Amino acid sequence: MISDLEGLVTTAVTELFSTMLGMNMLPAPLESGFGNGETHVAGAVGFVGRLSGMVYVFTTLSFARRITATFLGLEEAEVEGDEMINDAMGEMANMLVGHMKSRISDRGMPCVLTIPSVVRGSNFSVEATTSSEGHIYSFAAGTDRIFVQFLLKPTDASQ
Amino acid sequence: MGPKILTVDDSKTIRLIVARAFKSFACEIFEAADGVEGLTAAQRERPDIIILDLTMPIMDGVEMLTKLKADPELRFIPVVMLTAESGRENVLRIAKLGVRDYLIKPFKEELIVERVGRIIDLKAKSEIIMRAKRYDDPLQVLVVDDKPAIVEQIQAALSSTPWKVQGASQPGQAVDACSQVLPDIILVSLSLPEGAGFNLSQMFRAHVRTKSIPIVALSVKTASDEETRAQQLGFNGIITKPIDFDDVQLKITRALTLDTSHKYFQVRDGVQVLMLPANFSNAVANDISTHLRHKVCEAVDAGVNRVVIDMSQLKAADVTLIKLGISVIQLCVELEIQYNLIGSDVVSEECKNYEETKDWQFSSSFEEAMVGLNGKPALVA
Repeated sequence: MISDLEGLVTTAVTELFSTMLGMNMLPAPLESGFGNGETHVAGAVGFVGRLSGMVYVFTTLSFARRITATFLGLEEAEVEGDEMINDAMGEMANMLVGHMKSRISDRGMPCVLTIPSVVRGSNFSVEATTSSEGHIYSFAAGTDRIFVQFLLKPTDASQ
Repeated sequence: MGPKILTVDDSKTIRLIVARAFKSFACEIFEAADGVEGLTAAQRERPDIIILDLTMPIMDGVEMLTKLKADPELRFIPVVMLTAESGRENVLRIAKLGVRDYLIKPFKEELIVERVGRIIDLKAKSEIIMRAKRYDDPLQVLVVDDKPAIVEQIQAALSSTPWKVQGASQPGQAVDACSQVLPDIILVSLSLPEGAGFNLSQMFRAHVRTKSIPIVALSVKTASDEETRAQQLGFNGIITKPIDFDDVQLKITRALTLDTSHKYFQVRDGVQVLMLPANFSNAVANDISTHLRHKVCEAVDAGVNRVVIDMSQLKAADVTLIKLGISVIQLCVELEIQYNLIGSDVVSEECKNYEETKDWQFSSSFEEAMVGLNGKPALVA
């Protein structure tokens, strides 16, 4: 559906983390046990057009808190309540998907992005329906991890 | 407070990042969470620039921009678009909307400052404080010249000041030096190879962090073409080689508009003392004249009603000295305050040769001048 999707994700993730957070986030093997009871936060952004789908950027609540603190130039203890973390994770997903969307559009599959949203919880997973396909990629910076999950549904023209 | 910047973004995170980017600059930041709030804030605050997100709920960036451009009072506010989408199609679409610039997320804070700084006049808070600096502050002087002897001569010329001189033999070294500590003033040799001095000064002028630092050209006295070009490019002064020590201090003082008044004016034992230095010249006389009324009035306001003009360091009396002396005495008469003169025998004798100064009475020391002032009525010129 998208050739070199993994390459596009990797470029977007590494650039986002190095530019905005000064972190060296690199591809890592996908581990089992994702959603092992710890609270996770997922920033989600959808896209609609010749290619439609949803992108989730998952991480643990503790790492999401650190990402938010770094984004805002605060100490972790200063990150209060869920709102700041939700906003930061939503914006992170927005930037990541925006970066990829531009490259996908340049390949003749224009689409528009939705407003970001955030999902929280533990022991949950997002799965593709039969009419769409799913991809998940793992990245790590030291012991900190993020997962980027794609749910893609092609229109006739993109197939 | 400086220029007003309006950031319109549905993400509080981005609004905070934008505000943080401009934290060290003298400006006011206003925030709005969508296009509707953005238009209201624009009408209320009349910002100097708007940093506008493209994708927002309620009213997106495109709709807000369209309404902004349709409003005759707001249409001229420059807009920098912020977007997460960098594709060709998106960039072309943004360009057609009439924005001044656009930034792709993710972005570095330095980049947004740089882009906004190209459109509005941003000044670092530290620069504004710097304007009030005085001659006796520990200023940083960066000298960019590939001739070590010139750097040494400038160091020698400024050795009587508390200023610190740093040399850079190449433009790259100068850029590195500025990235570490911003100098108060930069002296650039125009004879660097391949016009590097001109290029470097233009680069400093283009960068928001360095654009307000005064740049003075170093040029060989006979290189008139270079000097003309330097004047056209807006250098803050030209110091000619061979280096004249007094000229270096003077040009730097002028370029930085330093307060030099304390070099000449001091309050001692309840008297305002105007000390004329041994290197008295036209330039010094002009410098003193600039401060004269303000300093004397300031002293009078503080209850200091007597002035001593100390010419004891001078070796001769000339027209410049006489003109300055007359203007000081006229001011004292105008303010109805007492004054006295201190001068050497030579100066005293030479003053007798001029109609305007033949009646001037000189004391030989400060103590003698004080004795003269005590109980002395206001003098008439």
